[in-house]
Amino acid sequence: MRKSKWILVIMLIMFVLLVACGNDSNGESEDTIYSIEDFSTDSSTEGEAIDGGTLNYGLVTETPFEGTLNYNFYSGSFDNEIIKWFDESLLSVDKNHNYTQDGAATFKVSEDHHTFTFTIRDNVNWHDGEPVKAEDWAYAIEVIGHPDYDGPRYDSSFRNIAGMEEYHNGDTNSISGLEVVDEKTLKITYIEGTPSLLAGGVWPYALPKHIFEDIPVADMSASDAVRKNPIGFGPFKVESIVPGESVSLTANGDYWQGAPKLDGVTVKVVNPQTIVQALKSGDVDVVDSFPSEQYADVEASLTNVEFLGKVDMSYSYIGFKLGTWDKEAQEVKPDPDAKMADVNLRRAMWYAVDNDAVAKQFYNGLRWNANTLIPPSHPDYHDDSIEAPTFDPEKAKQILDEAGYVDTNNDGMRENPDGEELVINFASMSSGDIAEPLTNYYVQSWEQVGLNVQLLDGRLIEFNSFYDRIGQNGDDDPAVDIYQGAWSVATDVDPSGLYGRQAIFNFSRYASEENDRLLKEGLSEEAFDSEYRQEVYSEWQQLMVDEIPVFPTLFRSILVPINKRVVNYSIGPDFMGFHEIGVTHGEPFKAE
Amino acid sequence: MWKFIVRRLVITFPQLILLSVLIFLLAQAMPGDALTGLVDPNIDPETIEEQREKLGLNKPWYEKYIDWVGGVVQGDFGQSFRYKMPVTDLIEERIVNTFWLSVTALIFTYIIAVPLGMISGRYNDTILDSSIAGYTYIGFATPLFIFALVLLWIFGFHFQWFPTGGSVAPGLEPGTLEYVMSRIQHLILPALSIAIIQTVSTVQYLRSEIVDTKQKDFVITARAKGASESRVYNRHILRNSLLPIAAFFGYEITMLITGTIFVEQIFSFPGMGQLFIESVLQRDFSVVNAVVLLFGAAAILGALLSDIILSMVDPRIRIK
Repeated sequence: MRKSKWILVIMLIMFVLLVACGNDSNGESEDTIYSIEDFSTDSSTEGEAIDGGTLNYGLVTETPFEGTLNYNFYSGSFDNEIIKWFDESLLSVDKNHNYTQDGAATFKVSEDHHTFTFTIRDNVNWHDGEPVKAEDWAYAIEVIGHPDYDGPRYDSSFRNIAGMEEYHNGDTNSISGLEVVDEKTLKITYIEGTPSLLAGGVWPYALPKHIFEDIPVADMSASDAVRKNPIGFGPFKVESIVPGESVSLTANGDYWQGAPKLDGVTVKVVNPQTIVQALKSGDVDVVDSFPSEQYADVEASLTNVEFLGKVDMSYSYIGFKLGTWDKEAQEVKPDPDAKMADVNLRRAMWYAVDNDAVAKQFYNGLRWNANTLIPPSHPDYHDDSIEAPTFDPEKAKQILDEAGYVDTNNDGMRENPDGEELVINFASMSSGDIAEPLTNYYVQSWEQVGLNVQLLDGRLIEFNSFYDRIGQNGDDDPAVDIYQGAWSVATDVDPSGLYGRQAIFNFSRYASEENDRLLKEGLSEEAFDSEYRQEVYSEWQQLMVDEIPVFPTLFRSILVPINKRVVNYSIGPDFMGFHEIGVTHGEPFKAE
Repeated sequence: MWKFIVRRLVITFPQLILLSVLIFLLAQAMPGDALTGLVDPNIDPETIEEQREKLGLNKPWYEKYIDWVGGVVQGDFGQSFRYKMPVTDLIEERIVNTFWLSVTALIFTYIIAVPLGMISGRYNDTILDSSIAGYTYIGFATPLFIFALVLLWIFGFHFQWFPTGGSVAPGLEPGTLEYVMSRIQHLILPALSIAIIQTVSTVQYLRSEIVDTKQKDFVITARAKGASESRVYNRHILRNSLLPIAAFFGYEITMLITGTIFVEQIFSFPGMGQLFIESVLQRDFSVVNAVVLLFGAAAILGALLSDIILSMVDPRIRIK
């Protein structure tokens, strides 16, 4: 008797505790809606930076970083976050990701836009004291184009260099389009002179030849020069590496823009589950990116931290399968009889979903309704004047009625114009906690306007299978009618890699002459005039809203918390002041 | 006995070969491959295809298997696609971390389990026993990933007695005393969270075994001889109750290299458990194959070790 009483008491106590916990986390801020416009990309902390100090930079990930610490070989994004502290691009960029003349090298473009002449500044030196030479730059391009190269960087921008194909196939030993004019001058000749060259089309990273020349190309990415003693010419030098966990860097007094204010930077992996605590306790000053779904819950309690924000170079979308991939011809093969071939059906489906509500309910406004396929991360090209369909279920029903999609057998669901049952199969990927409710929301929204949309296989699909089935290898699964995906976009605005006729990543398999024409115009000689280029891409964005091979759902934001002791920090794409970053106090501020 | 060990080792070989074929086929059956993760408009599809060709991902499975086995026999497990380094180097890097974490956890486990089990068994059905039982039930019911988080929050972030992640503080020179101390300090919290949860089954086994043993005739004989109560418990009963723990020990050796995924993730501790899960998710086949083969071999050897220990501890068990 006595024992059971005790157990009862303990259970009661635990129950009360649980209830208390539950209340605590739900109570506040459920309805606060944020807007990315209220965030700045630059830190606002005023104050004099102290001499020295160490910045703690967190990489928010559950897995160790790969440790391929060289721009020419890395593929993981976390490696990139480490490399940026000790190496940098020779070319600087502006807010639209176009090259400018403020970087470690300047450039001139020939009249015909085919030849670029780059001049590296005299005071740009590697960490070991050797000057960064034109041959180092040429060497990077030679290594990436080499048949034995094992990284992911060899792409059409390399094939565009004159003589590259022959070299890559092993027919020649040198690249005819590369000319080292003198120690600091490099000339590159391109086969096609397109505006893309000025926005990410040039390989801007050098590879120290005096270190790598004795290593066979196939072994470079695994070599100590990449994994254990990586070097660059950036503001900090790598001091030591704990594989997969952390990297310590110290200031490079010889940095070409001037010695850094900080003594050093420590980069370390932080688990997403503990990131808030790590910020509160000052364990990390800055992280690469903060899980934005946690923002609303913690914003008020992180008193020692300022949040910076910017528009992510990405968008989520719903895609419609309009054809297949022709492996012979290596191009898309639109099928005029595809289930989703009627543009009215697609438009109605766009009208049926309330992306604005999704953004507010699931993301507290930190994602928001998207109107076009060029995100606002490219401010000059994104056209926000374009009016895309927004939530209007009545309009959706009306469009469907007019297009002949009516319920003929009284089961509450519409049939297609031929009177056959219409079942639309929806492929959606499992990712994070929101994927499932979001997918269900879409399915219900379409059901509301009378469309029978079924989740493919009745469940969310794992990442690898998802991309296999929507056709990353060209083997499109005919069972997929529509799918939900997301793209991160390149620095260059040109969308041919995602929507061109020859693009395997054009998963909707849409093609039209008008689309071909506009994509070509965007890369033409005239498009070097940026106003003309903007016009072309506005027209293209409008075309995509009219034809709807896919429709964008949400634009996204990136949030970066920084400790209030940090000054001169920025997450803008054009930021090149890593050496200016400083701290006002020796110890990070802690949350109250 | 030696005959037995040799015979068991001989049987191990076909087991390993069968295991390797199974692993290999299962890995191949997973949708996607290491390059699926590169679906990114910044990376050219042609480049991806070229890489597939170069890595031999387009070959039929038996050719791939023969290539792989050919390498494995020579001690070459291939290259990790994701890490761009030899799999053996990668495993070496991780296995050291996991090994020390598991050894520490094992030591903590026994430090906690043996005294608790003894007390619980000796004073069974008292309030002391009940509270230990209470602890074991809570331990059984608590998921490790929550418990580790709670410990981390209390001792790592709140009191700041221990570091909150990683296996060593950044920037220390390997080999120095400072480095070793830092490593030990980084081990304590994750090891403790594993031990406190893991120990509960051992406590229970030991308890029930002691309760069982103390009613045996030889215990009465020992008391009749005039042996003191502590001698009866520590010498006569404990030794005869260690059987299940000894049987377990072989398997716990296996655990030394398999790692604990949850704890490794929460403490950002790069070990084998993480390497395994990660390589499966990323379809880094060469790593999956090597790691599973290693785990399989360890499990087989652990079972063998358990049998040998058992026969040594208890001569009544005859191995044929």
